[in-house]
Amino acid sequence: MTALLAMEEITGGYGDADILLDVSLKVGKDEIVVIVGPNGAGKSTAMKSVFGLLTIRGGRMMFDGDNITGWAPNRIVQRGICYVPQVDNIFREMSIHENLEMGGFLKKGDLSAAFDRVYTLFPDLKERHKTLAGSLSGGQRQMVAIGRALMLDPKLLLLDEPTAGLSPKYMEQIFQICRDVRDTGVAILLVEQHAKQALAFADRGYVLAAGKNRHEGTGADLLADREVAEMFLGG
Amino acid sequence: MDFLELLNFYVIPGIVIGSIYALGAVGITLIFAILRYAHLAHGDLATLGAFVALAVVSGLGVSPLAALPVAIVATAAVAVGIDKVFYEHLRERPKIVTVMASLGIALMIRSVVQVFWGVDTQTYVRGIVRPEDYFGLRIRDREIYTVLAMLLLVGALQVFLTRSKWGKAMRAMSDNPNLALLSGIDNKKVVVLTWVIAGGLCAAAGFFLGLNTELKSLMGWSMLLPVFAAAILGGVGRVEGAVLGGLIVGVAEELSVLWIPSEYKAGMAFVILLFMLLVRPTGLLRGKVL
Repeated sequence: MTALLAMEEITGGYGDADILLDVSLKVGKDEIVVIVGPNGAGKSTAMKSVFGLLTIRGGRMMFDGDNITGWAPNRIVQRGICYVPQVDNIFREMSIHENLEMGGFLKKGDLSAAFDRVYTLFPDLKERHKTLAGSLSGGQRQMVAIGRALMLDPKLLLLDEPTAGLSPKYMEQIFQICRDVRDTGVAILLVEQHAKQALAFADRGYVLAAGKNRHEGTGADLLADREVAEMFLGG
Repeated sequence: MDFLELLNFYVIPGIVIGSIYALGAVGITLIFAILRYAHLAHGDLATLGAFVALAVVSGLGVSPLAALPVAIVATAAVAVGIDKVFYEHLRERPKIVTVMASLGIALMIRSVVQVFWGVDTQTYVRGIVRPEDYFGLRIRDREIYTVLAMLLLVGALQVFLTRSKWGKAMRAMSDNPNLALLSGIDNKKVVVLTWVIAGGLCAAAGFFLGLNTELKSLMGWSMLLPVFAAAILGGVGRVEGAVLGGLIVGVAEELSVLWIPSEYKAGMAFVILLFMLLVRPTGLLRGKVL
């Protein structure tokens, strides 16, 4: 596997305390990789470390041939990684179309190809492109949030608990969106609270606990692992 | 009192002073939406704008309206400068620190105005201007200019905010600052843009206040309360709300004279402010940031 993203023994955190301890992780091209683990395991922190949102004190972050350790988020965005936060991930007082336009803010020149791509992926959004994003349902808001992040044609998309607070029906819809996005050639790294469902749908998974790597493998392997099942998946 | 008299002596002057409040309130609401603090130097910045226009009028001998663009550009530049020299360093501190700093800036600007132009009352044009008669409505030219200029400036601002890339970036920054940064929107440029717009509108407010009444060093400071009342009444963060709020406060002030002594006119803004904060603090058009 040629890794698009390679986190190599990353140690770091916010301020002085280290939350991640020697965490390593890889995401290949065209792959959906999920990070699961108990609360406080450092899942979201691991994802934020990719995006330059915390202080890295050890290890290095390689992306598509570049060492991006210590880069500022806006440089990382331009290099091809987009990040969708867990909450407050849309502009509520702006229309769907304007949300997408802001996602493509850094892109020079015409945005119409990017709009076409996102609207092809999410026909629902095209229909309602003048609607204020804040008036949408939870699932549609996630579509706007993911659409916004896709406007810059990223190579890798980071999703922080995209199904948090959504009903099982919407969860399945979000997972389907992830597959569709992956099929357009964008790799996805996501953090999930719903470990069972997420491992069943992802290509590969990592189990973190207390800021360290615990297990890794294909989703199916991890689901079949007794230790993983007992520790995190409620038997 | 007949209806025409009510319009001529209360409603029309109310709309004129309300348009001036609206120009100030739009700036207050923009600053609150993007920078999240109450800017107490706004009134004195308006005073500065009015006196810059006076300097152009008396220095170059041009008409007051020709001096307005110069005052707008100069005041916008001063606003950006004040932000760079003072407020920028306080960005990471609690907002109340900047609010108090802006009070200090207000006193500084007023002192500068008093040093350069003195404390006496001045006017752009000497003599009495008689109103024209439009089917019984008595309106002065300068009153028409005031309302038209307000509509024009606010209209242009609305087009900028809804159509242009940087206008939308300003709305995005107001809506969700973190996401705006994640999208690569340059925070610093948005802040400069906010000060250019707020400072320019502020100068227009001071100019039209001076054109319709007179210029004195406390003119802007005494406008601060009605301007804040207007911004809160309309819903903080809403440009169209600030205009609506300004007009309501202006007309309410003028109409209040029918029932209370005119010395207490200025108290109307305070009553409206108190009432809104108690009953509907989000404003008439639900505010975005409060």
